[in-house]
Amino acid sequence: MTSTTAEASVSASLETATIKSWKAPIAYAIFSLIAIILFVVNGRDGTSRFRLSSDADVIQLPAIDAPTRLTCVVVVVLLLAITAYATWLSSQAKRVPLWLTIIFAAAFMWAFLTWAAAGESIPVTGLLLGTVALSAPLIFGSLGGVISERVGVVNVAIEGQLLAGAFLSAFVASVTGNAWVGLVAAMVAGVLVSFLLAAFSIKYIVDQVIVGVVLNVLVAGLTSFLYSTVLTSNTPLFNSPPRFPRINIPILSEIPILGPVLFRQTVIIYFMYVAVIVVWWALFHTKWGLRLRAVGEHPQAADTVGIKVNATRFWNVALAGAIAGFGGAYFTLGSVGGFTKEMTAGAGFIALAAVIFGRWDPIRATLAALLFGFATNLQNVLGAIGSGVPSEFLLMLPYVVTIFAVAGLVGYVRGPAASGKPYIKA
Amino acid sequence: MTINTRKAVFAGLASAGVIALLAGCGQAPASSGDSEKAASDFLPCIVSDAGGFDDKSFNQSSYEGMVEAADKLGVDMKEVESDTEDDYAPNITSLVDQGCSLVATIGFALADATKAAAEENTDVDFVMLDDNSIELDNVKPIIYDTAQAAFLAGYAAADYSKTGVVGTFGGMQFPTVTIFMDGFADGVAYYNEQKGKDVKVVGWDVAGQTGSFTGGFEANDTAKQLATTLIGQDADVLLPVGGPIFLSAIEAIADSGKDIAMIGVDADLYETADSGNELFLTSILKQMKSGVFDVVTEAGKDNFDATPYVGTLENDGVGIAPFHDFEGKVNDTLQAELDEIKAGIVDGSIKVTSPSSPAAE
Repeated sequence: MTSTTAEASVSASLETATIKSWKAPIAYAIFSLIAIILFVVNGRDGTSRFRLSSDADVIQLPAIDAPTRLTCVVVVVLLLAITAYATWLSSQAKRVPLWLTIIFAAAFMWAFLTWAAAGESIPVTGLLLGTVALSAPLIFGSLGGVISERVGVVNVAIEGQLLAGAFLSAFVASVTGNAWVGLVAAMVAGVLVSFLLAAFSIKYIVDQVIVGVVLNVLVAGLTSFLYSTVLTSNTPLFNSPPRFPRINIPILSEIPILGPVLFRQTVIIYFMYVAVIVVWWALFHTKWGLRLRAVGEHPQAADTVGIKVNATRFWNVALAGAIAGFGGAYFTLGSVGGFTKEMTAGAGFIALAAVIFGRWDPIRATLAALLFGFATNLQNVLGAIGSGVPSEFLLMLPYVVTIFAVAGLVGYVRGPAASGKPYIKA
Repeated sequence: MTINTRKAVFAGLASAGVIALLAGCGQAPASSGDSEKAASDFLPCIVSDAGGFDDKSFNQSSYEGMVEAADKLGVDMKEVESDTEDDYAPNITSLVDQGCSLVATIGFALADATKAAAEENTDVDFVMLDDNSIELDNVKPIIYDTAQAAFLAGYAAADYSKTGVVGTFGGMQFPTVTIFMDGFADGVAYYNEQKGKDVKVVGWDVAGQTGSFTGGFEANDTAKQLATTLIGQDADVLLPVGGPIFLSAIEAIADSGKDIAMIGVDADLYETADSGNELFLTSILKQMKSGVFDVVTEAGKDNFDATPYVGTLENDGVGIAPFHDFEGKVNDTLQAELDEIKAGIVDGSIKVTSPSSPAAE
């Protein structure tokens, strides 16, 4: 316990040393400028309606009608005020706190939505509900990534683990007719991919990034081949898995806005809430977590005190695969049902970005995944309400947001020291 | 440290490239066998786009048309599936090298590769599906004015809709996708004009050519969330355009618990879908199987020419499927109205235009 706090304070002092900069105010200023150009100079008239409840809710909140131009101007003034405050903070050599960035981002997004929805209505619940759904596989994937990289093995194979999980869960759940068995199969699939990753990178000391990339290609090829030859030969038997039903949690699911978003979900999402908290707690507050991080930061030291470095790495990479594979089941058992070729469509790589964006921390990685999910669903909503923004630009949005977030908010990050380096006992 | 990482990434990319290359090489063309049935030297060949011949969409139906034509002519055929877009040019070249006398390239994504190969091999005939840009004596385009059929579907959707909102979304913003959406939206507009109604289309704006796209042709959660979003906008008829993404829409409809109908594309999905058949109000048919069959059969009889084959309502190259389960739910007069509109489109009194439409005249 004492060593944890000592380590935390060391890393904290390292961060303050690097972050004393004007980056935040400059970023705020740029976004404020964009806001002025887009929302005030290029402002639209009309009213923007925010729908806060869906038809199925018991407690119906009235929709909020915001006059577009006035709202935009008010929010832009708020943005400028925040920028000024951040500038003052920086001039006093104080750090710009994370909550200020969150408020700034939220205000900017509010102005953007108001501007984009002039004369239209934005379903707020639907926007957030889709965010959780689209983030789910990313969150599982990034949890797997965090564990794997914290223990010292770079996990580029998240995509492969998700895809393998999606495939095997669909197949097994269809044949057995039981979604729970499919869920277990998804974890097995993820673990199998991890075994390959672990065996090659730990035992045979192959470059971990290369192994990861190759595994992604292997899984994509293998699942596509089996899909074409086996699954499509008898779709009702092999590729029609039962889906988990939505479970409404009593009382909680009736909370306005948050209830439908968080507590009317499938079992997989509820497992996700638990997984995020358990991984975070276990990583930073248990003996297991301490050993895992020690192996990833300084394997020699860990070895000296009697931790079996390579065994620890092997089994934790397997665990990471199980979690990512579980996330793969979300694609099939949680969302769409049947498996289709390469259905993960790059989610694993975004999860990898979320790991780095989240600084190898489960909670931050989850927030990063949620940000990406939000941006993805935002483009859905904007496309659907006919905001007039070109489709190609909308499709870029999630990636643009991710790049800005990584570059602007994260900047220099320090990963686990021994991540990517095989441990060879002298 | 940084150098190591960069090296590693480059190495990773290089190895991925090598693997992709090997996978491409490994894609052996189907064994032609040494059957005795080869009645002539005519050897038709077909190359898919990245979707593969089992995509339940245009690759598959074109392939079926090709197989039938080869059967009818009593000749062998060769086929190659492309895994990525980097395979197109090498696959076409490999077919030409194997002595194919006709190469059918499926999907407009292969247009550049087809053009290059056709310029180089003037003695080989090419059939180009879904693209009308190549003007060479040895390239015959097969194209479809799907906007005409989508127009009928849009009219039917507008008539059926109870909420007064219908929605559409596509895989990616390609002309072959948006032509459906254009025709659909125009059909709705025509309905509004004729009946003095105000049915709204969400997900596609014809004038601005902007709308909802999933960014890919995978039946995944992104497509499902997009369908959910459209349902959230009160749409009660959905037109998902792009291969298997309708599967995601089926799940979105199931989750919404609402009474929502769908419109299929390419084939009569009421007949061919594995699930959710009862949701299909109708389908916009694009008869690629018969188009490829006709063109290849004619070519086998030495009747190849480079005039584009254009599927229209008039020659039944495009059309809409029966209402099936919705027979009793649509207005009694709808079918008659649609027949009338169809006649109007065929004789030119109703103009259906789309920026993506092939210049039929």
